[in-house]
Amino acid sequence: MPRSKPERRAPIGPLAVAVLFVMLIAAGLVLNGYWQRTLTEVFLVATIAQSINIIAGFTGYAAFGQVVFFGLGNYTLAIAMTSLHAPFLAGAAMGSVVCAGFAMVCGVPLFRLKGHYFAIATLGLNEAVKAVVNNWSSLTGGGSGISLSLPAGNDRGNAQVFYGAFLMLMWASIAMVWLLGRTRFGYACRAIRADEDAAASTGVNPLFYKTGAWMVSAVLAGLAGSLYAYWQSYIEPGVAFDMDISVKGFVVLLLGGAGSVFGPIVAAFVFQIVSTVTWGHLLTFHLGTMGILIMLTVLLLPQRYTWSERRRAVVAGLQSARQRLVGARP
Amino acid sequence: MLLTQSLVNGILLGGLYACIAVGFSLIWGVMNLINLAHGSFVLLGAYVTATINQTLGLDPFLTIPISGGVLFGIGYVIQRGLINLVIARSVFSTLVFTFGLNMLLVNLLLVAFTADLRGIIVPYAGIVWQVGTVRIPLTRVAVFASAVVLTALLASFTNRTRLGAAIKATSFDVDAARLVGIDVDHIYAVTFAVGAAMAGAAGSLIAVNLVFSPVLGDYYTMKAFVVVVLGGLGSIPGALVGGLVLGITDNLASVVLDPGYRDAVSFALLLLVLVLSPRGLFGKPFYAEIKA
Repeated sequence: MPRSKPERRAPIGPLAVAVLFVMLIAAGLVLNGYWQRTLTEVFLVATIAQSINIIAGFTGYAAFGQVVFFGLGNYTLAIAMTSLHAPFLAGAAMGSVVCAGFAMVCGVPLFRLKGHYFAIATLGLNEAVKAVVNNWSSLTGGGSGISLSLPAGNDRGNAQVFYGAFLMLMWASIAMVWLLGRTRFGYACRAIRADEDAAASTGVNPLFYKTGAWMVSAVLAGLAGSLYAYWQSYIEPGVAFDMDISVKGFVVLLLGGAGSVFGPIVAAFVFQIVSTVTWGHLLTFHLGTMGILIMLTVLLLPQRYTWSERRRAVVAGLQSARQRLVGARP
Repeated sequence: MLLTQSLVNGILLGGLYACIAVGFSLIWGVMNLINLAHGSFVLLGAYVTATINQTLGLDPFLTIPISGGVLFGIGYVIQRGLINLVIARSVFSTLVFTFGLNMLLVNLLLVAFTADLRGIIVPYAGIVWQVGTVRIPLTRVAVFASAVVLTALLASFTNRTRLGAAIKATSFDVDAARLVGIDVDHIYAVTFAVGAAMAGAAGSLIAVNLVFSPVLGDYYTMKAFVVVVLGGLGSIPGALVGGLVLGITDNLASVVLDPGYRDAVSFALLLLVLVLSPRGLFGKPFYAEIKA
């Protein structure tokens, strides 16, 4: 009687997370520079994916131009560190404040829009900010960008510090998503995703929760941007506001399943490795290969948010197919 | 003087913007799909024209039916073979999908034509009319006129033909369209193909007036966004007005502020219209509102 059994949560969950936690720390200590850098990028992409998860996965608003906060994090940190001579942490804190504030100010008017219109508005927001950054040369250095001084210490040590910092940020973003899934705030956001009018009629203020969710996701993307700027020690508008970063996050989310802890990490790992390998071996057709892979990801993965929803969708599909086959018999 | 000149330049450029955007608007309005590869379709048209012009010496304006036809075929196949598989998915799935499609097209264009900036100089490019203090180049007027004629042709196609009526019916209510015997998959493919053909034709015009390179596709996609939002989704006269407004603001922003701020101004305009009047200046209600 397998069907009457209540769904049991696998006890392996927390243990597996702990094992992965320890393994990733150990990997940072033993891996060579190349793999350390690749994994650091994996953590970055996974963080962006979780940031997008909070706004697109929870509330259902496809913030396609989410990279704008990554770019703002880049530039706030760089300006704080060069013009104000602020330490990294103060710069990153300022970046967070700027991102949260920007999300709040833009969220109030933009959340009147839905679906494609919201997606386009965020895209327009990113392009507008990019154009301003490109031209406000006295503050941002314009198209020639800003160079940051490297942190003190040797290369190997610095690489490990950034590895550790991005790892921590990724775990923080995962914890944030995990927590949101279990709080009133998260339930309100998911109610909005399911049916905004119904949510509003039960006393959920959609604008408050949507804007709040966007601010949280903006801070995550902004912190990732600040850390990235310090890691690269050089920023320019074309890289900081590159739509590829948003798209990578969305693809990893599609590939990994938004509701899972491991999904996006594994997906970011796979995506980044494939990207690095195709970059190395298919120089002239790297972009096209990635394009094909992105299309395949969208095509092959059923549009569900979590793996358990996907599994249920597949099972339901199989059952209806069987019924149709059985029903077709005379 | 400078202002009048930039106003005239803006209007002439605006016609071209309208022609770029109108296919994008049609696809978005009928299929509820934002095609991020639209700019690449435009460039594909420009390269078709450039190739024919180089090999056969045909005038770029005479290649418009060819670039339109080639893009019609490509559009039909892409819609039937690829886009149709994801058309019912969520906003972010289709956006990511067409972003991937765009990456593939950009890469194919780069392999075929390299990243060099290209342009076509026609023999009559030097002819310029002087009206008072304003200089009006013949090619710009010819491009403007062709763009307006193409846009008008599209309008009469959707308003006056059976196929156009079927496209409109499908955009209003897919289920009802199916009930009256419309083959929705075919209509979607035709719509996408017509949109791509308009992009290809616009590309031929760009080849005469502006420079192009495989990496400039996104720039034209963005222009299409702004025009469609300004003019209102799915409205062909709206696209014309939106194109003119964008052409004029682009040129005025360059003169009054600084050429660098041109894009910032056009995206500020996009956001402003989205927030204040999401239906655009002439738009019909949201697709989502029609559907719900």
